[in-house]
Amino acid sequence: MNDHRRPVLAIHAALIAVLAGLQVVIPPFHHTLVARIMVLAAYATGYNLLLGYTGLMSLGHAMFFAAGMYGTGLPLLYLGLGAPQAVLIGVAASIVLSTAVGMLTLRTSGVSFLIVTLMFAQVFYLSTLYFNRFTLGDQGFVLSGHLHPITIGPIRFALTDPAVRYNLALATFGGCLGLSLWLVRSPIGRVLVAIRENEDRTRLLGYNPFAYKLLVLVISGAVSGLCGSVYAVITSYVGASFAAILYSIYPLLWTLLGGPGTTLGPLVGAAAMTYTVEVASRFTSSYLIVVGGALVILVMRFPSGIVGGIRRRWAPWLP
Amino acid sequence: MGAVAALIALLQTRALAKTFGGVEAVRSADFRVERGEIRALIGPNGAGKTTLVSMICGRIVPTSGRILFKGRDITRTQAFHRAAFGIVYTFQISSVFRNLTVHENVAIAVQRRVMRRAWDRIALDQQALASEVQHALAQTGLAGLGGRLAGSLPHGHQKLLEVSMALALQPELLILDEPTQGLTREEIAAFSRFMRAIAEGTTILLIEHDMQVVLDLSRRITVMDQGRIIAEGTPAEIEANREVQRVYLGP
Repeated sequence: MNDHRRPVLAIHAALIAVLAGLQVVIPPFHHTLVARIMVLAAYATGYNLLLGYTGLMSLGHAMFFAAGMYGTGLPLLYLGLGAPQAVLIGVAASIVLSTAVGMLTLRTSGVSFLIVTLMFAQVFYLSTLYFNRFTLGDQGFVLSGHLHPITIGPIRFALTDPAVRYNLALATFGGCLGLSLWLVRSPIGRVLVAIRENEDRTRLLGYNPFAYKLLVLVISGAVSGLCGSVYAVITSYVGASFAAILYSIYPLLWTLLGGPGTTLGPLVGAAAMTYTVEVASRFTSSYLIVVGGALVILVMRFPSGIVGGIRRRWAPWLP
Repeated sequence: MGAVAALIALLQTRALAKTFGGVEAVRSADFRVERGEIRALIGPNGAGKTTLVSMICGRIVPTSGRILFKGRDITRTQAFHRAAFGIVYTFQISSVFRNLTVHENVAIAVQRRVMRRAWDRIALDQQALASEVQHALAQTGLAGLGGRLAGSLPHGHQKLLEVSMALALQPELLILDEPTQGLTREEIAAFSRFMRAIAEGTTILLIEHDMQVVLDLSRRITVMDQGRIIAEGTPAEIEANREVQRVYLGP
């Protein structure tokens, strides 16, 4: 296994380098789109830790994404905090929420887990609408005017500058990809895969599946929260639509499309789907049918996703 | 080991019972296993053997009664803690990680034993782990198969892999549930030799249907029927026991 360490790290580093280089060659429209894709891919990367590596399918991740988004957006709006502090609050909010939700939902598994996480997420979504006076949920709110520039040493970063936004997105994706790569190759990752493959056997080998599942759910929730938070910053917008079920389904679809249980699958899935939607919506208003058709074909022909298929055919050492 | 440790059984159950719906799978079982023995547990299908050992390893919660391991009450202890204490169970129907390699299967077990401090969960010496896995696989004659997917192995090899995983945990009490089922005569002979070698350092509780294996390995046999322990003793005593004869041969 160790002889493959170098290509694995090199491939991931090369990918980050390509994404970093992309910003100087692509036109402004794609510039913004790629920045968004990177944050959403980081979100799916966090989701994939749970689905792909631990075998838990959640339909409630939008609540963690939105917890990060509101945890960042509300302090920016009401307290006038700096963006870094607000992002930290967003991540903290998603950690608290995922710990509490995990303690309750992880008593279930399989389809029950899917449904229970969906219910919690619906409660969260409806709460953002119910407390509309405070959250401004139904209309959403914009953050422009509340994003003060960040000064690090002699350099000032204006958070409204597209280049700063792109690199913030890149850093978020790079950090989440690195975390995911490290985690799945660590002793913890080995136990997570064992739980996915056979939970009963893993328990009788002396591991506490609940503790591991809670740990990965909190990590996954924190990553989702970070992404929701950064997404709010780079788009200057916070709204309840990000807490709705669609944003729980997206990371599931991106992960299934790209390859569950592969570190690179979520980016490939998020990019492929976003661009398919982008292209399809130019030709037809019912572009979701095109997306749905593409998904049906992919799931039938490539059940392990794009990167999963590549791994099976050509590169069994891919993590 | 002091005199007190010698008096305390490695494993003891007191009036242990399990009821599924209205069916009494195990009724008031008082059972003792001493340190260092190879104990055979026999009985007809449905006698409650697997239910009894499942309560011992923690897969099934007893309806009533107590379980003591080295004198300590573990009746309410979680299964994963019991495995860490040294009670290791191998499944009747082989239950390896089918989609993972043979090497990875054993690595999961070895890792559990060597992972002691919190830090080990984050960084573990993978080189040392790999060499321990190699050693464990060599013990059961699977050394050349490390790269194969566990699910692609023939049945007999999966059983051996299951045993490798159990041994990698260095158990104090190894519970084997029909380990020779489906093995060839030669594989059974090799397995018996191997078990005798293992028994030097480990207590073994063996559920087995093959009487040749039982007589070959155990000096004490426990017989169950319809949820009760009906006899216990040396092979000669068990053979002479009227109730055992009735159960096995009919009235």
